[in-house]
Amino acid sequence: MRALSLIFGAASFAAPLLGLLVLWVVVVHAFDVNPRVFPGPGAVGHAALESLRDGTLAAHVGASLARVALGTALAVLVAVPLGVAMGVSQAVSDFLTPLFRFFSVLAGIAWIPIATLWFGYGFGAIVFVIFNAVFFIVAYNTLLGVSTIPKSLRHAAASLGAGRWATLTEVLLPGALPNIVTGIRTGLGFAWRGLIAAEMIATNVGLGYMLFVARDFYRTEVIVFGMIVIGLLWLLIDRLFLAPLERATIERWGLVRAA
Amino acid sequence: MKSLAIRNLSKTYFDAYAAAHVTAVRDVSLEVKEGEFVAIVGPSGCGKTTILNMIAGFIPPSAGEILVDGRAVKGPGPDRGVVFQSHALFPWKTVLENVAFGPKMRGLPRPEREAIAREYIALAGLSHAADRYPNELSGGMQQRVGVARALANHPDVLLMDEPFASVDAQTRMTLQEELTRIWQERRPTILFITHDVGEAVFLADRVVVLSKGRVLKEIDIDLPRPRRWDALIEDDRFKTLSGQVLQLVRSA
Amino acid sequence: MREAADIASPPAASAASPLLAAWSWYVRLTARWPAVRSLVPFVPVVALWWIVAEAGVFPRAFFPSPPDVSRTFVSLIEKGILPEYLEDSVVRLLVGTAAGMAIGIPLGLLVGLSSRAYKALWPIVLFFQAIGDIAWLPILLIWFGFGLTTMTFVIVYTVMFPVIFNTVLGVRSVPTDLRRAALSLGAGRFALLTEVMLPGALPNIMTGLRNGLGYGWRALIAAEMIVGTSGIGFLMFDARRAGSVVEIVLGMIVLGILWYIVDSWILAPIERATGQRWGLTTR
Repeated sequence: MRALSLIFGAASFAAPLLGLLVLWVVVVHAFDVNPRVFPGPGAVGHAALESLRDGTLAAHVGASLARVALGTALAVLVAVPLGVAMGVSQAVSDFLTPLFRFFSVLAGIAWIPIATLWFGYGFGAIVFVIFNAVFFIVAYNTLLGVSTIPKSLRHAAASLGAGRWATLTEVLLPGALPNIVTGIRTGLGFAWRGLIAAEMIATNVGLGYMLFVARDFYRTEVIVFGMIVIGLLWLLIDRLFLAPLERATIERWGLVRAA
Repeated sequence: MKSLAIRNLSKTYFDAYAAAHVTAVRDVSLEVKEGEFVAIVGPSGCGKTTILNMIAGFIPPSAGEILVDGRAVKGPGPDRGVVFQSHALFPWKTVLENVAFGPKMRGLPRPEREAIAREYIALAGLSHAADRYPNELSGGMQQRVGVARALANHPDVLLMDEPFASVDAQTRMTLQEELTRIWQERRPTILFITHDVGEAVFLADRVVVLSKGRVLKEIDIDLPRPRRWDALIEDDRFKTLSGQVLQLVRSA
Repeated sequence: MREAADIASPPAASAASPLLAAWSWYVRLTARWPAVRSLVPFVPVVALWWIVAEAGVFPRAFFPSPPDVSRTFVSLIEKGILPEYLEDSVVRLLVGTAAGMAIGIPLGLLVGLSSRAYKALWPIVLFFQAIGDIAWLPILLIWFGFGLTTMTFVIVYTVMFPVIFNTVLGVRSVPTDLRRAALSLGAGRFALLTEVMLPGALPNIMTGLRNGLGYGWRALIAAEMIVGTSGIGFLMFDARRAGSVVEIVLGMIVLGILWYIVDSWILAPIERATGQRWGLTTR
């Protein structure tokens, strides 16, 4: 029963996309579109097989994912403790909020030029761009989360005998968690875009590079394939990792309305 | 204002979770005469809100018919005004704009509909708050606006779904007294849903006790009007009637 | 509003300690001019930046000092480059945002109101949203070349999706009772849309616009770097080519300040005016 409804759900989700595929085939044939302008599904499938066979796809995807994973992990590890520490005191958080807002506005893409100057083209610069796309947004959201925990919750914990450490782990962290998760989701959204942009500019491997180099040779089928890969990867990251994380905290606790 | 008649009304729906058909309302017949104030009282889950939603046209009945002034009901319409428990005021409209909404839908020009709205706002004692937004009012004031908005549209029947359930006890008494005053002034036909026995007896000409989707009993309330809480609270007739209704509700 | 005299002469507490007196002076000052509160925190940051630059920890070419940047700022304004580029960027952003909303709001209303449209369009919307704006750049370059069309397309694309998502969310979060109230007061389909669904979704639409601008802004910078011939993003990337860190830093500061102004003077007040007075919170 459950499996059946799951299959049905997946089918009704896939149906419009299949419709889109059919439309694609029909349009390319009917209007005899120049494959240099827009390739048919066959050419894209061929490009997909080719890049799978010669291992270039794996190399590009691997490089991109490694950069995102490393940059994000580093950023979260530094930003969360920092955000909690800053959010504990109202005066400190009031003081730092404008700074973090300013820097989270700049986060990501705007750092590409200076990052490539400081670190040179390649891995370091790109990880740095992702790091600061995630870092400032997560730190800002953690700060916001901790400083908006109702005083009464902290007082309740204190009068029930919680010490400093217990207050931190039992009240502050869980209370700020929905904000932290939202921060990670937003930050990762910016980081993913920053990654693609940075790879177009500053490296010789990765999905962004794969697209950009294909443009030089007018290989539109490779470009379209790369776009689909980017879309699917992000859908996977978002649906399998970020959305469940957000559901598990935010919606269950009824703290924020689902987005 | 016109009469309301319900004949053999039933509502059955399929509860997917329990995998069973549930009968929320079973063969209910009821008549509200023109200018009459009838209250339906019963414990939660007795089907009273379902009945009101069917009369309002929000959900279709499974069987039976609903007649307003002899015409069958099809979907929601301005002939039946509704006052909601959640007040359902449009948050982006001021009190004046909320009350003027019905006349606006009837296509009346601005000066005319604002005149109507001001009249009913005054009737509800809210003239000073006409330009405020619902969010800026107290719960009691919000419900007053809800009543004014429904009345300003001149409905044949006024349907009230536990409108005073979420205001504090003092305010509730004031609102009940005001409602009886307005009813005596304008004589609308009212069907009032509540789970509060005292409220039902205080307000209505007739109380219908509902249990498990059926009408258990109808009781005429022959208390004199105007009714005021400070007089009625010590009144023996009021106590007897309330006790009678309460016993029926608790036996349900 | 407090009188100006209040700030100049604090009450008796000042006798306690000069530090406390200074603190309470600062609190009264920020209470009178809230803008100060968002400016003062930058003072120590700039000071630290200045000290590190002057100390010569890093080579000057890599790490310019605040005076270097402000000199460049003045000279770029005098040459007319900065105002011109700034105007280009802002106009692109405005045009793209307007178009993105013009497409996104009706589409969001359609998907939010009709379950048939939802079934047919939602997976497609999700898929195209996932591809992301910047990934479109290479193929757009083939289609439209290096120019305004490419950049506008990218911004419209970026702004559109958050607007769609939040419009759908907004439409769905309009309470059933409000719809019922309108219907039983005699509203038809069109009145229901204009009087109930649209205003009910408005706070969410504003949030969508705010998020969309946040993404669109970054997309614009990226697009200007990669395809641009003018604009702040181009200024920074051109400076990168020339190795002029001063201009890059200047570009970043200009971007930050500009966004700060847009966000806190335009977007946030609109959100407050709708959401707060109506008592609808969007987050």
